[in-house]
Amino acid sequence: MALAVEVSNVVKVFGGVRALDGLSFTVKPGEIYGLIGPNGAGKTTALRIISTLLLPTEGTVEVFGLNVVEEAEKVREIISYLPEEAGVYRYLSGWEYLEFMGRFSAKNLDEVRAMVREAAEISGLGERLKDKTKTYSKGMKRRLLVARALMVKPKLAILDEPTSGLDVIHSYHVREIIRRYVKEHGVTVLLSSHNMLEVEHICDRVALINKGRLVAEGSPQELKEKYGCTNLEEVFARVVKLA
Amino acid sequence: MLRGFRNFLVKELKVLARDPKILLGMIIVPLVIFPAMGAIMGYAVQTAQERGVKATLIVVNNDGGNWSRSFIDFLKGLNAMGVGFNLTVHVKENVEPLTGEKVLELLSKYNAAQIVEIPEGFSENITAHFSNPQIKARLRFYGALRGASVFENVDSSVVDAVINQFNRAVAPDVLFSEKATVIKGEIKYGVDPSTVSGLLTSQSIALPVTTLIVLMLAVQVAATSVAMEKEEKTFETLLTLPIDRLAILWGKLSSSIIIAAVGSLAFMAGYNYMLGSITAGIPKDLKLDLAALGLAPSTFGYLLLGLSLFVTLLSALALAVIASAFAEDVRSAQSFVGYIYPLVFIPLLTLMYLDINALPLALRLVLYAIPFSHPAIVSKAVIMGDHWTAIYGIIYVSAFTVVVMYAASRLFATEKILTAKLKFKGLKRKEKAAKAS
Repeated sequence: MALAVEVSNVVKVFGGVRALDGLSFTVKPGEIYGLIGPNGAGKTTALRIISTLLLPTEGTVEVFGLNVVEEAEKVREIISYLPEEAGVYRYLSGWEYLEFMGRFSAKNLDEVRAMVREAAEISGLGERLKDKTKTYSKGMKRRLLVARALMVKPKLAILDEPTSGLDVIHSYHVREIIRRYVKEHGVTVLLSSHNMLEVEHICDRVALINKGRLVAEGSPQELKEKYGCTNLEEVFARVVKLA
Repeated sequence: MLRGFRNFLVKELKVLARDPKILLGMIIVPLVIFPAMGAIMGYAVQTAQERGVKATLIVVNNDGGNWSRSFIDFLKGLNAMGVGFNLTVHVKENVEPLTGEKVLELLSKYNAAQIVEIPEGFSENITAHFSNPQIKARLRFYGALRGASVFENVDSSVVDAVINQFNRAVAPDVLFSEKATVIKGEIKYGVDPSTVSGLLTSQSIALPVTTLIVLMLAVQVAATSVAMEKEEKTFETLLTLPIDRLAILWGKLSSSIIIAAVGSLAFMAGYNYMLGSITAGIPKDLKLDLAALGLAPSTFGYLLLGLSLFVTLLSALALAVIASAFAEDVRSAQSFVGYIYPLVFIPLLTLMYLDINALPLALRLVLYAIPFSHPAIVSKAVIMGDHWTAIYGIIYVSAFTVVVMYAASRLFATEKILTAKLKFKGLKRKEKAAKAS
């Protein structure tokens, strides 16, 4: 079976800056894989390349065997990307936004409706979905966006800081949803996060990135054991310092 | 159809139509401002009529009877009556036949805008009126088209005011006027110069002004639409969806065209109301066929004009979309399209007042090279029946549009749509100043 994601020696140069410098890692199907690293490490650039937004300067990236450069359109059919700073259309209601997004993936109107119902449940926004999104709080918008990313049941969900801006309760709720989706729908999740607790609790495997390179990889338990730390935060600090 | 186009277009229309800035700027403002302007200008015309205005009247007396002399004395005495008239009256006896050429010669000689002819039988008819009120005396009023200024209408209304005053002094309804206009050297009886002047005004001013406003509004809408996706952070998500990238480009262009069309309809409705208010005093039953008078385009000419407007609009939108793709946010996009505006309004305003063929060759070539000049060039060309200038113009603007659209589609197909950033010197300075403070 093809790997969900295969990133091989990827280099990305912006002007004179090497945002990614020979990054390689793989994600197995049905896995929740976390990318962690300090600010500017290249996490978002890596996710954007996998999402077909950016082109790698060197190296290759495949999603379920599809090359993200040569088969970008096919890749877009099986992924769902949630950017870290995603927004919503302020003059559409939450419901209209979900319908708009659903129509790109659904085959018919019934499928769109089913997706929107699912998203309504994931987001927990209830009646507020009828309101224009400009009236939503930051947390409400994020819940709507997470719901949008998951409602299409993609083969690969790429979530950049999925719980960014959410309070503890809603973060917990979103994490549970992600876990449930992986279990029930076989969705593979590739996420990045600054929240080490989140990564430790939710991810099957984690990659630590620094200066555009992979500096450590393994399950949270393996990494803690390898570096003799009690939690992932300590591992992160130690690895980044060593690098 | 491009994948996802319809869905995207519907979203674009909803978002644009619900944006209060667009609703206010494109629909409410023209619908309110123009009628308000019309009411004010209509009031100004009415007041001018009531007060009387400064005018030079040439009286051609082809009657020679007592009542004709009384009428001339009445005219001369109006200024002293204190009812607001300030007339300069020149009298010419027996100018028959009063041809178009003669009318123009007299108007030019005395630098006047109108001639009042007292036709033969005038005195006889007034005398007869007292025994049979059905009989009325007629005055002929001639004007010539020498421009399309709105305010020429005011001048020609003097004769109505004079007749009202005379009727008030002598007998109700004893006098009536028959108006005639000299167009291209020929006298057209029953054609009020005010009406023709008003209609010509709408031809020569309304079109460039409408084009100008529609182009600027459409450019604004298109420019902000991509920049807004970037500013509100919706663009990244959009580009990872299973939607044809060209569908995004076409969706943005189409929705901008639709919104601009609705805006221009609102504009035209408001503008027509304004013209209606200004020319409210003109008899409604007077039907003028400007095309037959050689003052308006033929049906084919109108078709060419419409086509020219459409391709010009498309070229402006494509340019604006490219411009906004390079901008990081709405503010930068608006600054960028600010550089397009002079290319829109300078040629249109220039061509409103000047004939392109009268300009030096170099300036003419510059104007032909700017695609936004063409609706104004075409509007004049089709009135003159010069369809080839219109056709060449449409071909040129279409070719320009294809090149710009190709560039836009290339831009949308690559990561440059996301990473391209242009900052402007002015903005950079402002940002630096803001940071320093």
